Amino acid sequence: MLSSSASATGTPVNLAAVTDPGVDPLIPGGAALAGFVEVVLRQSPTRAAAAAEVAARLGAPALVNAAAVIANFQMMNRVADGTGMPVGRGSRIRNAELIARLGLERFDHSDGTPAR
Amino acid sequence: MTSPPSAPDPLPVPAEIVANLRSAWEEVAAPGASFTGEQRVAITAEARRAWSGEAAGSAPEDAGLPPAAGEAARRLAASPHGIRRPWVEDIVGGGLGYAGYVEIVGIVSRVVASDTFTDALGLAGAPLPDPRPGPPSGEIAAVARPGQAWVPMVGATSITQALSLVPAENAALERYHGPMYLAFEEMADPAISRALTRPQMEFVAARTSAVNECFY
Repeated sequence: MLSSSASATGTPVNLAAVTDPGVDPLIPGGAALAGFVEVVLRQSPTRAAAAAEVAARLGAPALVNAAAVIANFQMMNRVADGTGMPVGRGSRIRNAELIARLGLERFDHSDGTPAR
Repeated sequence: MTSPPSAPDPLPVPAEIVANLRSAWEEVAAPGASFTGEQRVAITAEARRAWSGEAAGSAPEDAGLPPAAGEAARRLAASPHGIRRPWVEDIVGGGLGYAGYVEIVGIVSRVVASDTFTDALGLAGAPLPDPRPGPPSGEIAAVARPGQAWVPMVGATSITQALSLVPAENAALERYHGPMYLAFEEMADPAISRALTRPQMEFVAARTSAVNECFY
């Protein structure tokens, strides 16, 4: 969805920033958002500073929106990992180049076999 | 009395998010399909301990749950990327059954999400709710079948059906999803925006999943 939404809206994005925090995402405010995600999930004591950075660059409503999206994907990641949700074959084929380029296979723990 | 998360003053938290967090907390305290309100709050307590890095407690066992319930809550909260199918099968076989396990996945995922939201914004987390009385409903989707995932679901294997073995949990997931991110029916619009643009939201989502080592 990142790639398709960036394409649909004409927004520049460097997808490598998804897995490499040292890369500039190019998205407006992207570096601040990336830093915020990192410290929130690591429960770092620098959370307040990272939040202030997002608010300064994008506004307080955007900070709240970012926190809500992080929270939602904390939920969805646990649902996916906990239930062994596989990525569909069509999605794998469509995104094969991206999956390989970002090295995402290392996160794939589903085995595609039915529950018994 | 159940206490909702504290008011988000002075941050401009939309009313629908405040209501969402309150509803999620109230749902945790109510009887579920397999567990009583007391047991669900005990699962919540254990998940919260694990997510905050505290040592394991005994709340699930004290509430009459098998040890597998506490183990599931801890793993789902603190290190879900390490979950594999054999572990799920051990947990399911440890006295929970698939329905009990799916209910725990639902509870823990929303508790960690809510705590993440408040923590991210420097807000006080809600105290544990008081359990509501009553027996478990026993409402399980009899039509759920094994598919390509590790737990039975209703219909085709899909993330939107992930918890459908326990209809109340799947409904709770969908209710939570909309105010925090996008409603399921909004997700097909690549240009939809909130305070963040859709690409910004998707970047946050993708980076979150990467840090969590979640392939999906």
